[in-house]
Amino acid sequence: MNFCRYAALRRQLLIDPQVLKNGSCSPDVVMDNPLSQNPDSMWGRFFRNAELERMVDQDLTRLYPEHGSYFQTPGCQGMLRRILLLWCLRHPVYGYRQGMHELLAPLLYVLHIDLELLSEVRKVYEDHFTDIIDGFSFHENDWTHKFDFKKLPEYMEDCNGSESPVKINSLGELEPKIQTIVLLSDAYGTEGELGVVLSEKFLEHDAHCMFDALMNGTGGAVAMAEFFSPSPFGGSHTMFPPIIESSAALYHLLSIIDSSLHSHLVELGVEPQYFALRWLRVLFGREFALEDLLVIWDEIFAYENTKFNKPGTNDAESNVGVLNSSRGALIAAFAVSMILQLRSSLLATENATSCLQRLLNFPVDVDLLKLLAKAKSLQALAVEAINSTPLLILPRLHGRRNAGFTKAHIPSLDLTSPRTTLNMAHESYWEERWRVLHMEEERKQGSAASAEKQVPNRKKGWSERVRLRLSRTKCDPFRSKATFRKKNETDEGRKNIGGDVDFGHKIPAEVEEQDVKDTNFSTSETRCSSGCPGNEENSSNISDLSTPVRGTNDYVNMSGRSSVASNFSAEENDTDSVNFEPLQANPESSPLPVSELDPDDDTLNSTQNYHSVIKQAAGIKERKLLSDKFQLFWKFGRNINEGTSDRAAVSEDAIACDSGSDCNNVAGSSIVNGCNSTSGISKAEIIDQNLIFSLSDLGQSMLENIQVIESVFQQDPDQMGSLENCKNAIVGEGHITAMAALEELRKISNLLSEM
Amino acid sequence: MVLVLALGDLHVPHRAADLPPKFKSMLVPGKIQHVICTGNLCVKEVHDYLKTVCPDLHIALGEYDEETRYPETKTLTIGQFKLGVGHGHQVIPWGDLDSLAMLQRQLDVDILVTGHTHQFTAYKHEAGVVINPGSATGSYSSINYDVNPSFVLMDIDGLRVVVYVYELIDGEVKVDKIDFKKTTASST
Repeated sequence: MNFCRYAALRRQLLIDPQVLKNGSCSPDVVMDNPLSQNPDSMWGRFFRNAELERMVDQDLTRLYPEHGSYFQTPGCQGMLRRILLLWCLRHPVYGYRQGMHELLAPLLYVLHIDLELLSEVRKVYEDHFTDIIDGFSFHENDWTHKFDFKKLPEYMEDCNGSESPVKINSLGELEPKIQTIVLLSDAYGTEGELGVVLSEKFLEHDAHCMFDALMNGTGGAVAMAEFFSPSPFGGSHTMFPPIIESSAALYHLLSIIDSSLHSHLVELGVEPQYFALRWLRVLFGREFALEDLLVIWDEIFAYENTKFNKPGTNDAESNVGVLNSSRGALIAAFAVSMILQLRSSLLATENATSCLQRLLNFPVDVDLLKLLAKAKSLQALAVEAINSTPLLILPRLHGRRNAGFTKAHIPSLDLTSPRTTLNMAHESYWEERWRVLHMEEERKQGSAASAEKQVPNRKKGWSERVRLRLSRTKCDPFRSKATFRKKNETDEGRKNIGGDVDFGHKIPAEVEEQDVKDTNFSTSETRCSSGCPGNEENSSNISDLSTPVRGTNDYVNMSGRSSVASNFSAEENDTDSVNFEPLQANPESSPLPVSELDPDDDTLNSTQNYHSVIKQAAGIKERKLLSDKFQLFWKFGRNINEGTSDRAAVSEDAIACDSGSDCNNVAGSSIVNGCNSTSGISKAEIIDQNLIFSLSDLGQSMLENIQVIESVFQQDPDQMGSLENCKNAIVGEGHITAMAALEELRKISNLLSEM
Repeated sequence: MVLVLALGDLHVPHRAADLPPKFKSMLVPGKIQHVICTGNLCVKEVHDYLKTVCPDLHIALGEYDEETRYPETKTLTIGQFKLGVGHGHQVIPWGDLDSLAMLQRQLDVDILVTGHTHQFTAYKHEAGVVINPGSATGSYSSINYDVNPSFVLMDIDGLRVVVYVYELIDGEVKVDKIDFKKTTASST
């Protein structure tokens, strides 16, 4: 039935217009002349076909030159051409794309080999016919009993020298096949029963049917044609071609299985479709030799292609359509196992180009069975992954949901969501590490290493935070207070709403009132610039208070975030403009000023991480940066607090403080000044104490995060540049801690943005 | 399926400025395999333009051609057919079938393409086909003032040639079709 259809199609579509004209009289010569511009005319079709044929020929001539003995023969080429043309004419949506011929060629090859095998088997029979003592009185043609099984494999290997690799590989599957061949080649019919299935006459028709099935997916999910389609898949809710979606799904799976490699690739900017396009479009046809490819395809096609039906996914969270079957999952799993195969060489290279080179020139001497086994083991995981691939991972379209801070932090916009989720998974681990570091630090100092507060105290911490900043920048609390008052007058041109004066008042008051604040305060004090002896006792007071607060990620994140924000504003401040930038602080910027900042912490008997921090840049510069940081923090606070007047007041405080600080060389004094001015104006406002406190807590944790990062960077003084460089260059613990700190910063910013 | 374009007597720039735009829009490069020109182009620019339509260009020398190195007659073989080109001013009386048939026998061709009369004609006789593509630009001739632009496209396929005649009448392109079949395969 399929044969007839194919033959009819062939006749219809590939025939000359001339011959057709013989049958029917073309009614309108004006329309149907060869030069007609009319696209519907027969000639138009003819020329389009000719164009298509030219494209196909271009590809066919370059098909499998290493197996040219079969593929370059005119018979085979003619068949390939016809099949491809026919399919493309039937599916004008896809047209002909390079790669379709590579999907068809192995199919045809397999059919051809099977036919050859069949004829060989027959020959073998005839060869050994006389050798076999015929004890039966069966018909001559009934070679079921006369067949000599033993001799066949040797014979095949002997005479099929050129294709022996194929034979050896598929010998396992051929053994039972030979049996079947023998059994099915019955007396009746020119080719026996098997002739129906495996016939030379209908080789082309069979190949066409198989190709059609492969491209259409036969109702399943994986339809190879989709990979060639430029338009979005019907069922998908993204605006991306299926190949892009699938590539993204590949990366998603990789991120689940091997996050470090995935993040490495993402950082380098190696987008999945660069190599996945070729892999998927020809089902790895270009990565493996033909014989290996056949083995791989056997595995792939063994898996069911029925679409998974995930109930209730009619919204934008629907899964990647084209890989949505167990077969699709295996394809994805195989691709990922291929990437993993190259893991070491990919991680070693720092260059996107060399990564791609590695990926695109897949090594030839790879253990295929191992790859396949791995792929199968990952397949179950892949099924889940593909079912749950959020559309967020697709570039630029949905990334905005989590964009916010993550965008700024992650250079590649792809796959921000899985990255974040992945980070969440390891959060506790990093928290632990950080905690450990801080514990060491505290033990050595005898003072609070970090002031992590619970989330509920977040709001409370804000004022603390501001105070922290103040104290940070100051060399000693007394001096800061002095400058604090001095600055009161100097800051005019700033829009100050925050209760700066209150702030100033609060600072000493709060220290006494609340342990939490004290913790913050003293902690900041401990981090103060050198020469703050007075801080030590305070810090000792609050050190134990800070410890219980450690557990919260959120706080830490928030503090990190605020510090990032402050750094960001630091940059902005250079122009003396009080503008509320989006808080997408670049992590690059944050470590820089912070690193300058931390040299102040001479008094800290810091751990090895902090030691290097102490010996750093000039005071003025660091103070300036500090003030910048503070300004950023203020802006940050401001952005958060847009909703309420309280918050606005608080933020204004910070802003004012920052702006005040900007005016002066002495960061500490400027900050104090800023605070003064803000407080002056915000008198009328009611400041939400909780908010302040929580924000100061945030600030504290941010500071600490930044310090961690700084310490990491300090270890590599040459890499004071961008975060990118640092991240790439620093391997090991420093990197890890930096990453941890960064993650927390991100969380903080996230939280704060939600506020 | 070989497409052969036959045209001539353009007389650019003396008697006509250019091909009609509708003709030009139809003559898209890539479709046509051969171009036969009966002559009187007259300038090199027309030659270059025809080259862009198809690189395989055969031109016979007309009396007004500025490039004098074209041959007076030319023969070529396309598929099973032998074609001959000449300008036609040498054949007197101009446009007379018998005289043209003489030329055809002289050249020993199946299809003879000549011009000069600026009038489309297509004769079939026992030895073959005589085609006059007319003037592609519609330029006047010494015997005819009111000339419709016309050219001929031959579709040679095996033993059969289909002649499409494109004429610009009243601003509209009219197409006509003539079928010729060769009785016996030529022995080359």
